[in-house]
Amino acid sequence: MSFQPFLYWLLPSLVVGVLAALAPRSGGSRPELRRLGLGVVAGVTVLAVRALWPEAGDTAAAAAAPGTPAASGEWPHLLNVLVGLPALAAVMVLFVPRQMLTLLRGFTLAVLAIGFLASLLLLSVPMTAGWHFQYVKDWMPALGIRWHVAVDGISLWLILLTTFTTPIAVYASFGSVKTRIKELCFSFLLLQSAMLGAFVALDLFQFYVFWELMLVPMYLMIGIWGGAEKIKAAIKFFIYTMSGSVLMLAAMVYLVWSHQKLTGTWSWDYLALSRVVLPTWAQATCFWAFSLAFFIKVPMWPLHTWLPDAHVQAPTGGSVILAAVMLKLGTYAYLRFSMGLFPGPASSRAAQLAGFAILGGIIYGALVAWKQQDVKRLVAYSSVAHLGYVMLGLFGVTPVGMQGAVLQMVNHGISTGALFLLVGVIYDRRHTRMVEEFGGLAKPMPIYAACFLIVTFASIGVPGTNGFIGEFMIIMGTFSSERFGTFAGIHTIGAALGVILAAVYMLSVVQKMFFGPLTHPKNRNLPDLTARETVALAPLVAMIFVIGFFPSIFLDRMRDGVKVAYENFKNVSGQAVSFADDRDAQILPASMFHKGFLDGAPETKAAAAADAAPAGPEARVEADR
Amino acid sequence: MNWGPFLGASPLLVVSISGLLLMVAEAFSHRREEAEDRSQGPSADLALPTALTMGAGAVLSAAVWMVGPENLDGVGVLAPYLIIDRFTLFFCFVLCLGGALAALLAGGYLPEHKLDRGEFYPLLTFSTVGCMILAASGDLLSLFLGLETMSLGVYALTGFRRASPRSTEAAVKYFLLGSFAAALLLYGGALLYGATGKTDLAGIRTVLSQHATGTAVDSLREGGSMATVAIGAVLILAGLAFKVSAVPFHMWAPDAYEGAPTPATAFMAVAVKSAAFAVMLRVLVIALGDESWASWAAGWPPVVALLAVLTMTVGNLVAGRQESVKRMLAYSSIAHAGYVLVGVVSAAQTDGDGQASVLFYLLAYTVSTVGAFGTLILCGSRGVEAVSYEDLAGVGKRHPVAAMAFALFLLSLIGVPPTAGFFGKLYVLRASIGAGLYTLSVILVLNSALAAYYYLKVLVYMYMREPAPGAPLARPMKSGYVVGALLISAVLVIGLGLWPQRSLQAATSAKLVAGAR
Repeated sequence: MSFQPFLYWLLPSLVVGVLAALAPRSGGSRPELRRLGLGVVAGVTVLAVRALWPEAGDTAAAAAAPGTPAASGEWPHLLNVLVGLPALAAVMVLFVPRQMLTLLRGFTLAVLAIGFLASLLLLSVPMTAGWHFQYVKDWMPALGIRWHVAVDGISLWLILLTTFTTPIAVYASFGSVKTRIKELCFSFLLLQSAMLGAFVALDLFQFYVFWELMLVPMYLMIGIWGGAEKIKAAIKFFIYTMSGSVLMLAAMVYLVWSHQKLTGTWSWDYLALSRVVLPTWAQATCFWAFSLAFFIKVPMWPLHTWLPDAHVQAPTGGSVILAAVMLKLGTYAYLRFSMGLFPGPASSRAAQLAGFAILGGIIYGALVAWKQQDVKRLVAYSSVAHLGYVMLGLFGVTPVGMQGAVLQMVNHGISTGALFLLVGVIYDRRHTRMVEEFGGLAKPMPIYAACFLIVTFASIGVPGTNGFIGEFMIIMGTFSSERFGTFAGIHTIGAALGVILAAVYMLSVVQKMFFGPLTHPKNRNLPDLTARETVALAPLVAMIFVIGFFPSIFLDRMRDGVKVAYENFKNVSGQAVSFADDRDAQILPASMFHKGFLDGAPETKAAAAADAAPAGPEARVEADR
Repeated sequence: MNWGPFLGASPLLVVSISGLLLMVAEAFSHRREEAEDRSQGPSADLALPTALTMGAGAVLSAAVWMVGPENLDGVGVLAPYLIIDRFTLFFCFVLCLGGALAALLAGGYLPEHKLDRGEFYPLLTFSTVGCMILAASGDLLSLFLGLETMSLGVYALTGFRRASPRSTEAAVKYFLLGSFAAALLLYGGALLYGATGKTDLAGIRTVLSQHATGTAVDSLREGGSMATVAIGAVLILAGLAFKVSAVPFHMWAPDAYEGAPTPATAFMAVAVKSAAFAVMLRVLVIALGDESWASWAAGWPPVVALLAVLTMTVGNLVAGRQESVKRMLAYSSIAHAGYVLVGVVSAAQTDGDGQASVLFYLLAYTVSTVGAFGTLILCGSRGVEAVSYEDLAGVGKRHPVAAMAFALFLLSLIGVPPTAGFFGKLYVLRASIGAGLYTLSVILVLNSALAAYYYLKVLVYMYMREPAPGAPLARPMKSGYVVGALLISAVLVIGLGLWPQRSLQAATSAKLVAGAR
């Protein structure tokens, strides 16, 4: 008991202390700035980790009342503020004169910092099963569209990841981007709002709105501040994502229309629609329409070709956001919407999809990454491989695999975000990212080399770092998965092979860049990390170890959320297939879902009737007799 | 005396009487084509009155809507030549809105480009009157009258740049092809009359359904057969497809749109097209709405569906290849006609939202398109009109407000939420899925992704390219009229995107019901 507070004060201080001790050695013009910055980072990190730490009472309360709906003490507008504040700020930025750079930068960072601190409030309640911080309001009643936001153990971590990485990306961008700051601030703020909105939306319409809204600022970011081929990359990114999402929209409309035919009520609500079972062919079609949009975003092989271009051309800040958060939207949305709405096809196609994730994602992605000369392109392909793991965990649908997948989403956000920042550092100095241009960098840039090595270890999944926990859980989940049937063993071997390949491509690039003789004369006098770069990297490096050593503080909070998703999937997927043999769409009784899951769904008479009727096809046959 | 019919027809009356007055006023206005001082030309005298006139038309349509045409005594006395129902009123509102915005655009455009001749405004007004008559007509005779009133004005507007061979060529092309289409339509009407003995649409339907069910043994006139009806229907459909510029009847559109002065282009793209869709709905739903004709197996839906697929796909594919933004917008308006046609196909199912989706789409399309053409006008000034993509290079940096407005309207045309254009698409999609047209829906959404490519190209040039060194720079013009029109459109685009509730309900209640008078 007395040990615990000691630990959580000690750990962040230790990490930051180590970094701070390294700091002055490399010189630099203003060492006091760096120390000040690190002090602030240390303070915020301690605050964040304290908030993460489970209180003794939490678990007791959770155990006492599983499945109870929103406890008191949840401020219902918290999510609205999280989503609305950046959007409002984005509009306000438009009215600031473009010459006032300090004001623009300060304002943007302040808003994002407030967003991060506000998002820590999400940790103040125990994340029991069911929805938290739920807020529902009619938006367009005639169409059945509502403003419905809520958070559970799954989206909680993705929201925190977003509010955590965006300020870092923005702060780092202000160091390297010098032109058109006003547009940059506007894009980042709008993007932040759209991403958070997509994570918290429980209304399909609302989700679609945010999903599309996300494209515009990212498109501008790649197109305006990108590299030589920026326009091609930006258009490719937009068209790829848009083609997927319009098909998803068509499937959404079909689903909503089926629900309306069944119940007589228009509703776009996720909770209401997850009770609809479509006929077999429609289920499959809609599943693919949704999943295609998400697979493009993830990206899954063979839909990944936009990603390397977008990453290589995007500015550092844009790459960080793209890798850390936007790709997670694909995986998150697959878990939430594809698996939640169409569990039947998601279950019956799991083994094949996992094959794609392993062969196309994990192994092919790793092999291609190995052959890259451009470090940024290498990191981009490594993302394809890492997200292959996440998708594998989701396809397997075991509680441990799904938890690992959610954790791995966060891990990938942190470690790949950090890698992109590090690549940006070297690019700002040398204006090249080619591996052969470097060698022996550990000598002039020791701190940089150390950070790169730590992040590389996290990316490979060395024990003690965050990557290990996630990949290990996913591989465990794969092995024990029932969905994969006889393929479980082969899939596990493939996934484990990917870990080895990751070590091969990441370590070989580290070796080439940082060790060996310092051949290139331009590299001799490269300055080490500046104050700004150190401050941007420190929290990411700290989080690598926090997750690596104390994964349970993350896993505890997501356990109930994942359990709800898992049980719903398990109950509904079998039932959905047998129900769907009937020609018509049907409404599932509420009893098939986890308790508390359907809280907040719109009330309809037909749904109530479905609850009253005996469940299951056999029971209905008896009722007919 | 019974004022009901006058009240009911007041939007039409106000606009047509004001058109006459404007003609008189034009005769006394300043005749200075070359006037340097903007406050002196005919535009300064006439633009605002024209816009106000049509604004009054829109307000009156809204007012009659509030009162409810069914509560006005004796409004049916005008039927079937002019049918005053909610459908007509909705269209009158949209058409007057389009006309008023076009007049405002002209108020800035004409003096800037030394085209300042007063006849533009009466022509615009009379053309709008033609559009309104077309939307209200329930009889083949008044339909033709409306069509010609509308078209003659627009032919003249297309050739308004007398000095430009391009404009003249466009006008001649448009006139020849347009007259040909009108002749087809007239011939089709004659055949329908020949077969059924009726000129009013409801009457034609009665005869056709009697024939189909066999209630009256010889409901078709002597010598008339179903083949005659079919040929007549196809000819009418072809004539209307020409007016909405559906592929393969679209050949005139890009040239005419490019040659015409931009405000006239905007007017053609929104008002003429909307009116043609109104009458297309009336003909298809009322006259040919009987099950024997509106069925998917043997009737017009597959024909219109084919038109829709061709129009969307060809429009989008060709639009992507254009060098000129104006021409790109012309092709994009062809593609949008294709989306609306999907709604028209869904309208074959009477209980669905097909008609309502067409109505709402046209409203959303009107404000977005006028906005897009308006910003194109705003981005250029005398001698340096913004035409090609290169002309727009770097506008985002030099003139951020104009660029942002352009971006907003283009995003609405792409259908990015939360804009008016998105809801238009969503509503059409909902209607078509509700009608069971899954393949058509998928083609629709894929096309809208395809369209993103060329709209985004404008954004690319505005925000991500710098003008080539030495290239002429587009200088935005300064005009309160254009800015006003853009403000109105922008407010509507965002307003309809965030709170579409009321207008969606209005569109739903404006549905045509066969048999109701």
